Amino acid sequence: MGEGTHDPVPRFERRFFAGPDAITRIADGELGGKASGLVRARDLLARAFPEGRVHGFAVGVPRMAVLATGAFEAFLERNRLAGVLAEDLPDDRVALAFQQADIPVEVLGDLRALVEEVRTPLAVRSSSRLEDARLGPFAGVFATKMIPNHDPAADARFRRLTEAIKLVWASTYFAEARAYRAAAGVGDADERMAVVVQDVVGLRHGDRYYPDVSAVARTVNFYPTGRARREEGVVELALGLGKTIVDGEAAWTYSPAWPKAPPPFGSARDVVRQTQNRFWAVDMSHGRPHDPIAETEFLARCGLEDADYDGTLARTASTWDARSDRLSPGVGAEGTRVLTFAPLLLLRDPPLNDAVAAVLRACEEALGEAVEIELAATFERGAAPRLGFLQVRPMVVAAETVEIAERDLADPALLVVSHRAMGNGVEDGIRDVVYVRPETFETRHTRAAAAEIERLNAALVAAGRPYVLIGFGRWGSADPWLGIPVDWARIRGARVIVESTAPGLDVEPSQGSHFFHNLTSFRVSYLWVRHDASPPIDWAWLDALPAATEGALTRHVRLDRALAVRVDGRSGVGAIWRRPPGAPPADRGPTA
Amino acid sequence: MSNKPFNSFEMAQAQFDAVADLLGLDSGTRDLLRNPLREYAFLIPVRMDDGSVRVFRGFRVQHSDARGPAKGGIRFHPMETLDTVRALAMWMTWKCATVDIPLGGGKGGVVCDPHGLSAREQEGICRGWVRQLARNVGPTRDVPAPDVMTSAQHMLWMLDEYETIHGQKAPGFITGKPVGMGGSLGRTEATGFGVVFTLREALKELNVRASDTLASVQGFGNVAQYAIQLYGQLGGTVVCVSSWDQEDQTSYSFRKTSGVKYDELRGITDRFGGIDKAKARDLGYEVLPGDEWLAQDVDVLIPSALENQITADNVKKISGRVKIVAEGANGPTSPDADRFLKERGVFMIPDLLCNAGGVTCSYFEQVQSNMNYYWEKDEVLGKLDVKMTSAFAAVSEMARKNKLYMRQAAYVIAVSRVAEACRDRGWV
Repeated sequence: MGEGTHDPVPRFERRFFAGPDAITRIADGELGGKASGLVRARDLLARAFPEGRVHGFAVGVPRMAVLATGAFEAFLERNRLAGVLAEDLPDDRVALAFQQADIPVEVLGDLRALVEEVRTPLAVRSSSRLEDARLGPFAGVFATKMIPNHDPAADARFRRLTEAIKLVWASTYFAEARAYRAAAGVGDADERMAVVVQDVVGLRHGDRYYPDVSAVARTVNFYPTGRARREEGVVELALGLGKTIVDGEAAWTYSPAWPKAPPPFGSARDVVRQTQNRFWAVDMSHGRPHDPIAETEFLARCGLEDADYDGTLARTASTWDARSDRLSPGVGAEGTRVLTFAPLLLLRDPPLNDAVAAVLRACEEALGEAVEIELAATFERGAAPRLGFLQVRPMVVAAETVEIAERDLADPALLVVSHRAMGNGVEDGIRDVVYVRPETFETRHTRAAAAEIERLNAALVAAGRPYVLIGFGRWGSADPWLGIPVDWARIRGARVIVESTAPGLDVEPSQGSHFFHNLTSFRVSYLWVRHDASPPIDWAWLDALPAATEGALTRHVRLDRALAVRVDGRSGVGAIWRRPPGAPPADRGPTA
Repeated sequence: MSNKPFNSFEMAQAQFDAVADLLGLDSGTRDLLRNPLREYAFLIPVRMDDGSVRVFRGFRVQHSDARGPAKGGIRFHPMETLDTVRALAMWMTWKCATVDIPLGGGKGGVVCDPHGLSAREQEGICRGWVRQLARNVGPTRDVPAPDVMTSAQHMLWMLDEYETIHGQKAPGFITGKPVGMGGSLGRTEATGFGVVFTLREALKELNVRASDTLASVQGFGNVAQYAIQLYGQLGGTVVCVSSWDQEDQTSYSFRKTSGVKYDELRGITDRFGGIDKAKARDLGYEVLPGDEWLAQDVDVLIPSALENQITADNVKKISGRVKIVAEGANGPTSPDADRFLKERGVFMIPDLLCNAGGVTCSYFEQVQSNMNYYWEKDEVLGKLDVKMTSAFAAVSEMARKNKLYMRQAAYVIAVSRVAEACRDRGWV
């Protein structure tokens, strides 16, 4: 907020949700990246959709109060937490120290008044000043906590709210966040954390509270398939809270230009197997174990049978008839429910894709750059469908032109080539490769592989050596059965990441997650290849190199000569050669 | 002004009579409420450190328990009189009713000067006071608390004596206990913070930002210290603080136009709130006569020492810039001075409302003690803020709607609530 300008975010009023302002602030200081983005979004939505409607959906930013950075600073200072933070404690100890500290008295009354007014679930979300992609790619690094906020006693609701705020503040100093700052060259002292306390978009179904659909939409599609084109953008849909998408779990991905195009699955049976079959909801039951330092304390992971019982599949699912191996939109027939979002996308009941695409376009036009947005929709009986706007982030899309000639792709010195590469640019200084050994890899070992990689990463980061990382399945997946479950901070030294499918692990690349947002923002090149591609990854060459470090599941090799990496973001072609650029083709054989 | 010495109780009765007229109270209710329901006056013999026995005079007044057990502090003061205690007990009734907590009003005192007493001698007074009253006070009858020159330690001695006499634990007997011994987190800060919660709301009503205001504070005891701290955290600047000098038996004002630094002053303050003059000068403070705090060119005055400090004699010294008087102390403004300030258009946050944070938090402590389950500090202070802010809103609305001065509005709310309780009980 510049001096002398009109403050677009008025002070919190004790009447909170009864008040006319949907976005208010508590305490002085900055609002942080996420909250500032939402303020921009509110304004641009008001301009683009003055009636507050888009294709029949009521659209808007859910009501929220922003606890500005002044409260965070006072909290650290008055509780003398600098000493605690200097000790480099593990995350749970940092969280505990924050839980034991007192929130600045000048904001307590407002927080108390807030929970006295509101009795529906609240999302308590980080809004770091660095969480704006213009400054640094800090998406999904900090904690977000959902609280049910429905206890009859205001005291209990207040406690849960303050615990959640302290957790979000503490997450500023968790190992992952520190690693991100180190990677981005930002000091811990530059960080200030604001907190967004916001209505959770959703409806209550017994002990579950969740939106019918969560969506992440981007104006650039890094992995266009079929008729889809890169600039048409991409949408991912999930049932329940958006955690499914941002954590990189299975979600429904499609191009907003072709919402009815069949997804790239071999058969209806494959659709059943590979689509979302669990979803996240706020857990409204009582008597959960008290665990204030867990982000998921009040989240429930539910099965599709719960959603079927709740009646939320009518607009989101198809039904699979095993005998005919056919899917029919909706839940009219008996059979296995499959989250294809067919009633919304095929039957346009209601036209969710039209609304999402319109909002996405409006954001891109207003901000003048490629964007990623998060939305949540509810379909309440007897009310207009609602589209809650949860987040907008600019996407970092490189503009430099990289040419990869056809003859280069036929070069025998090719280590790997991808026709679905992400990123854009040239990397010529890399002499280290860390890879998951194909002969010992199994999906049940992904956690162990993650641990080995984390150790190698730490050593390479400490030595200041960037590296190429090659592995199987989705990098950054929260689900260890879909890929190697590392968060980005633990592989942050990698400049080039190669993701390969494997027999038995033939999953589509993820692209809606924070993980990917951060990769693109840090300009890490990402190459997706099929295990049966031609030419395949040159494993034999890698295996022939002497190991710098040999693990049970991974290997680290060091090269005498740097690799050449080229990624053409326009065509989505990326490749790595075993020789420096411009060097004469080398003999086949180790160069180390 | 007549030459008759100031009598707090007469002032309290005059205030009540005015409100009773305004409300049209019947004579029975007036008679019941313009005098204390019960009074205890007694002697406390204490063996002194030198082996002699000194007899101290003690009081407890329960003005009203129509809305709940009586609640009020115990003062150790050499100038204590029964009339002062009566007045303060009556004000406690109104204060509890103003912030709408289910308690009545009481007050106690001992005529003594703790500066000249050893800890053991003070303990003797505390235990003697409880021995005299053990059957007339208690968690369901009358709940004492610290006040002028009494502390958490005094409360603990009293509690111990009470529990010994009754042969059972009763942490809800008394409030202001040390944290960990039945005390509430946030109690120490409560009165001073409460003063600033109401001040913050008043500034909002006047559409003035705290960061654009200067304040002058009388006193540097518990209330003033926390008020100064929180006011500073909200962006305000305190430029003058006065405090009592035990050695010189007079008070001084300490001024720093660039802003008093709370931590700095606290570092040179004794446990009764007396500031060291020499050290203050070294730190760049001007040391001025005691009542100079009143004459500063500021927006806010916060009298937080004793009663009857702003009077007809000195009220004209108040700067024309002053917009708000926040009464951190009990009865700091005489009726004459009050009228003058009202005519000047000064926004008054009356003691009943302004310093009710202490008793509100005492009530929270009592609730916690009776449950033997203690809350986090965040929880205590969060509730306190909401309670104080709601009370401010109610008083301010009453004032606005009925064109009353804030003090009158607070009285109207308080007296009508107590009168209604008396009627509902069938007393009148």
